[in-house]
Amino acid sequence: MELQANLRRIILVELLVPLALFIFGAYHGVLQVMYLSGAIRATSVAGIDYYQGLTLHGVINAIVLTTFFAVAFGYTVVSQELKSRVSIAGAALSLFLMLSGAVMTAVMVFLGKASVLYTFYPPLMAHPLFYVGLVIFIVGSWVPLYTWIPVYLRWRRENRGLKTPLGVVGILSTFIVWQMATIPVAFEVLAQLLPWSLGWTSGINVMLSRTLFWFFGHPLVYFWLLPTYVMYYTMLPRLAGGKLFSDFAGRFTFMALILLSCPLGLHHQFADPGISTTSKGIQGVLTLLVTIPSLLTAFTIAASLEFAARLRGGKGLLGWWSKLPYFNPENWLFPYLFCGLLIFLFGGITGIVNASYSMNNVVHNTAWIPAHFHLTVGGPIFLGILGGSLLIVTGLLKKPVVSGTMAMAVPYIWMAGTFVFSTGLFWGGLRGEPRRTNLGLTYMNPTSPSYRADWWLPAHLGMWGGYIMGLAVLLYFVVLIRSLVAAPNAALAPFSLPTSEPYHDEDVAAVRNFTPWVAAAVLLCVAAYYAPIRDMASNGLSTAPGFRPDSPARVSTTH
Amino acid sequence: MSINVFEKRAFLVSVASVAVSLGLIAYSTWGMGINVPTCIPLGSKPFQQASVTKHEDKNYEVHYVARMWAFEPTVLRVPTGSTLDIFAMTKDVTHGLLIAGTNVNLMLVPGAVATSRVHFAKPGIYTIVCHEYCGRNHQNMNARIEVSDQIADYSVEGLPTSEGMKLLDAKGCLACHSVDGSAGVGPTFKGAWGAPLQLVDGSTRRFDSALFQEKMSHPDTIVVKDYPPVMPVISLTDDEIAQMEEYLEGLQK
Repeated sequence: MELQANLRRIILVELLVPLALFIFGAYHGVLQVMYLSGAIRATSVAGIDYYQGLTLHGVINAIVLTTFFAVAFGYTVVSQELKSRVSIAGAALSLFLMLSGAVMTAVMVFLGKASVLYTFYPPLMAHPLFYVGLVIFIVGSWVPLYTWIPVYLRWRRENRGLKTPLGVVGILSTFIVWQMATIPVAFEVLAQLLPWSLGWTSGINVMLSRTLFWFFGHPLVYFWLLPTYVMYYTMLPRLAGGKLFSDFAGRFTFMALILLSCPLGLHHQFADPGISTTSKGIQGVLTLLVTIPSLLTAFTIAASLEFAARLRGGKGLLGWWSKLPYFNPENWLFPYLFCGLLIFLFGGITGIVNASYSMNNVVHNTAWIPAHFHLTVGGPIFLGILGGSLLIVTGLLKKPVVSGTMAMAVPYIWMAGTFVFSTGLFWGGLRGEPRRTNLGLTYMNPTSPSYRADWWLPAHLGMWGGYIMGLAVLLYFVVLIRSLVAAPNAALAPFSLPTSEPYHDEDVAAVRNFTPWVAAAVLLCVAAYYAPIRDMASNGLSTAPGFRPDSPARVSTTH
Repeated sequence: MSINVFEKRAFLVSVASVAVSLGLIAYSTWGMGINVPTCIPLGSKPFQQASVTKHEDKNYEVHYVARMWAFEPTVLRVPTGSTLDIFAMTKDVTHGLLIAGTNVNLMLVPGAVATSRVHFAKPGIYTIVCHEYCGRNHQNMNARIEVSDQIADYSVEGLPTSEGMKLLDAKGCLACHSVDGSAGVGPTFKGAWGAPLQLVDGSTRRFDSALFQEKMSHPDTIVVKDYPPVMPVISLTDDEIAQMEEYLEGLQK
């Protein structure tokens, strides 16, 4: 069944508008590495300050691009796999809210009224419309789940006994995690940041605000990751020419991520005062447990690839690796997912370092952290978004991909870039190089008393890697634009996502119902967060007045 | 249909590797004594003043104050083999305190004190960087600790020097009155000395020594217009009054 015509239009807007914004995000990514290495020694370039550019890079790439893609991909999967019509009014409302929120936020950042980075960083204070824009954006992203739930329930009634398609389970999990994670951050914005930035309250409880943010900030990572996991489980085995090794593994992974995504945000706050080591320790343990579904995913996807490779004539213990379709321009999507997996191997391992409690002392807030997350959100997730967007946009418009070879080259070049970039930043981070800092003015400036000669090579590796990543993005836009302007081929069949058959199709009742997993997740969140939040909300921690990023004088408030 | 045997093994290997990791973390935390920063009782009043105190030979307690965009003290020199107990707080936004090449890595959040201990076994210059974005001059915010075989005791640079300023801090005045012109619960001290004050009773008085001493002993008799009458009685010696007045006089616009 072809997607509804209006839904096709909405999906196209949801994919193309953030990609257009991403041009600014990527441009500021390349500028970042130049500031970091000292290739640029200035507070601003072309009227945009370093920290303003950094805010744009974070908000556009990590929030706007990822969330729009999750919504657009979610609509595609749900509509296709359940062979159902979805509410166009709901989809349009979601699009309208998300677009208005994104535009409002972006305008405030471009005007220099909100250089507070996407983590908000109170008591640095932004313009109220920056916060309002983000809330509208987030509320817009809540809508799709509630338009899908009735469609899903009707499908279950009409297909009793059948398993819900795995992709739909993955998408619903994605948005259940998102719903749970965004409630605390919406509360932070509405109850704390917004009244404070409007001058209605004179101070803000910073520890509480940080904790509410990271309650959201870590499951955000799984919200980014889950659509890519859906592609790994439902599309990659098919692209490799085989089957999904285990259907159970996919269902278990999605349910386990619902359970464990939220109650572990404190591992971003291991270095914070005001939180007991017991609370930090409990969430540290939960953080390591969340690696289990990812380790199982690594096994299942590798086994699926091996199955495909052996069907293609692969032999031996390791020899089968050579038989996968690495360089086939017709199958240009395969390397987007495959390179993402390779990158994620390193992203996952370094993530375990960050999460490992006492080891965090060495890396917290250093360049190690962006090195790590450019191998996660900047690796499998970003490549999934690029590949998925190109597939869906060209598919819906019935246009050819011009050219398959160039499209195929993008993920390899990107992978090379991320490896060079991250090697530099990991190395610098271990030597104390801070993240999110305009190093070129001081630490990377030989004429400054703060100059650190030993950060020169790490910072320059970061820069060279960043250039390679920039080249990959440039090539991607060449492919995208050439494909968009190519003549459509009306003879093409209606678009549908490739879907894999399961090889082992186990039926395990425990992973076939969302309710117990969601209920357990809520209980676990309450258990993990009750003590720290009670301490923060009830203690004598003074509230802090606001400060603008450009002045040490506090923002005056009315009494 | 039952679960594939290889998948079961993969699951067991995943669980086992997590268990091993947790064991190693537990060992590093309790066996080797490397913990994350601990929690100073919430609501304990932060200190207001940077300082260095020598407890015994090569054992120092250092109070760092962070502000946009500097640390106090800026330079601390200690002999090789020193152990430092570090306490740090911020006077404005959230800052970070990382001593490169050590395990000291703290977040300085308004209203709370962060603490860590570090032992310097090797001589060298250790950079302290602020690693939490704190505004446009974040990249300028650093300090250093110089560890040397050549010195027998500590020396320090960049502590607030004026006795009057220290007193204002110690008596809690700076909680409500700024010295940089910024707004607070009470009027700023900056440029206030000698200037006229509008009082709630409609009169106008100059901020001078007489008014200063009267306000300290009877705060409710002199209330400045537009500010709440919340100032407590503060008892001072004549010496202290002289030092504070000297400092306030110097705080011109």
